[in-house]
Amino acid sequence: MSSERERILRGLSDSVVDMDEDTAAELSNEAVAQGIDALEVIDEGLADGMRRAGDLFESEEYFIPELLVCSDALNAGVEVLKPHIKVEGGAEKKTKVVIGVIEGDTHDIGKNLVKILVEAGGFEIIDLGRDVPAEKFVDTAIAEQADVIALSTLMTTTMLGMPKVVELLKEKGVREKHKVIVGGGPLSQAFSDKIGADGYSKNASEALKLVKTLVGRA
Amino acid sequence: MSSLSPKERLLNTFARKAVDRKPVICPGGMMNAAIVEVMDNSGKAFPEAHSDAGLMTELALAVNIQTGFENIGIPFCMTVEAEALGSAVDFGTRACEPKIAVERYAAAAEAVLPDTKSALESSRSSVIATTVEAASRQLTDVPVIGSLTGPISTAGSLVDPMRFLKDLRKDAAASHALIDKVADFLIEYAYQLIEAGADVISIADPTATGEILGPKMFEDFAVRYINRVADGIHRANIPVIVHICGDLKPVKSHIAHLHADAVSADAMVDLVALKAEFPELVTMGNLSTYLLEFGTPEKVAAAAEILKRGSIDIIAPACGLSTSSPLANIKAFTDAIRA
Repeated sequence: MSSERERILRGLSDSVVDMDEDTAAELSNEAVAQGIDALEVIDEGLADGMRRAGDLFESEEYFIPELLVCSDALNAGVEVLKPHIKVEGGAEKKTKVVIGVIEGDTHDIGKNLVKILVEAGGFEIIDLGRDVPAEKFVDTAIAEQADVIALSTLMTTTMLGMPKVVELLKEKGVREKHKVIVGGGPLSQAFSDKIGADGYSKNASEALKLVKTLVGRA
Repeated sequence: MSSLSPKERLLNTFARKAVDRKPVICPGGMMNAAIVEVMDNSGKAFPEAHSDAGLMTELALAVNIQTGFENIGIPFCMTVEAEALGSAVDFGTRACEPKIAVERYAAAAEAVLPDTKSALESSRSSVIATTVEAASRQLTDVPVIGSLTGPISTAGSLVDPMRFLKDLRKDAAASHALIDKVADFLIEYAYQLIEAGADVISIADPTATGEILGPKMFEDFAVRYINRVADGIHRANIPVIVHICGDLKPVKSHIAHLHADAVSADAMVDLVALKAEFPELVTMGNLSTYLLEFGTPEKVAAAAEILKRGSIDIIAPACGLSTSSPLANIKAFTDAIRA
């Protein structure tokens, strides 16, 4: 039985790395039939595969199209498993990250990659989408008690919306409660320092490491 | 040697002929130099200037005069191509450049592009062509650069970009078919600008970077279709600048295979080292746009001086500059090169 469990979990992890949606869905159905705990299947199988894909991305064997298709395989499995997740049992509360693309910008590929990898890293993501006003980031972070606010932009003209988020947090007296991280094409560590953000990362796998460091999980 | 006109200087540089000094240019499109301060000074502004040939011409001439860049660079955005092919555009504001609001297609396989001829007749491409014509008539010594959004980025502005990137892997056949048609369209659009008087065509393809696509797809899609567009433009005997965004490291071996008369690169690229490795390349770049926006004129001038002394053939900003960059910084940049 345990070797059967291992075979399925390993197969699920591989299916994500191999970008194979059909196998991901098939093995997820098998896992359900075998009565394996759905959350464990997601974390030790599918998300494990996504973390391996993230490592391949970091070592420049995988690039963005590959990561996105890996994430499709992950989602194909999660779709099957979702109805079987047992909610009782007091699963540990996940650290929340509010993420979005700053107002004025509609480019969200980078944001989506960060979302995929940070989620696979065990965080709960609240995705505000693209073209998001500064107020919305702050209000959501407060309402959801999110530890991290992740801001993305690809456009030089919209990056100035980022300091506004930091200022709003200060105005509302909650600057210390929410870490602010920034990323996107035109940005740099120098920009992050200048606007008083807590960190910058230049790609999605670094964003995951940054989030872990900031919340003390590194 | 006696001093050359800006047009002679740039064209000589492409042809690897002798020049009196390096040209300093900003080709338009992704590298738009119509900053807010120039709009304030000239009274011609975004977003109106994106769709009106008269305003666009006056603003383009004002950019040339006020910034010191030795060219005309139009359009001021990267949305003309995708709009002509059916995507909806949000024209932005005075400070914010236009962007794609809604991509026309959900997936590469669903894309059925309109007929090129009618797309070019009934779209903003004719406004750009009229502007090229007016500008080249008024400034005969200044090179007029028509900027194109490259084939990968244009295709990625027609299909939802996430799906587009996945389709490169999941549905390569449909992706090739789409980008192939986009390349055909871009060649015809380039001809429209060339007939109107464009001296140079610049192609910027920000989705087609080594960092996004990786070396294999960069070769299969970016190099292949950028070269197809460049070959088409070369048939009209017009030189082509190709700008590649981001770090070139993952795709360095492919850069020498681009059919470009000049390769323009981002700030993190060491153009002197690139030139040493591929001496046949004409290189262009790469003053940090971060420095242009947040630096002081003194720091900008110092950085420009370093570029000027290195083995870079054409001096230009490294990437798209912010519309809030101070004019004093841009002037410090161009003055340092022109001195």
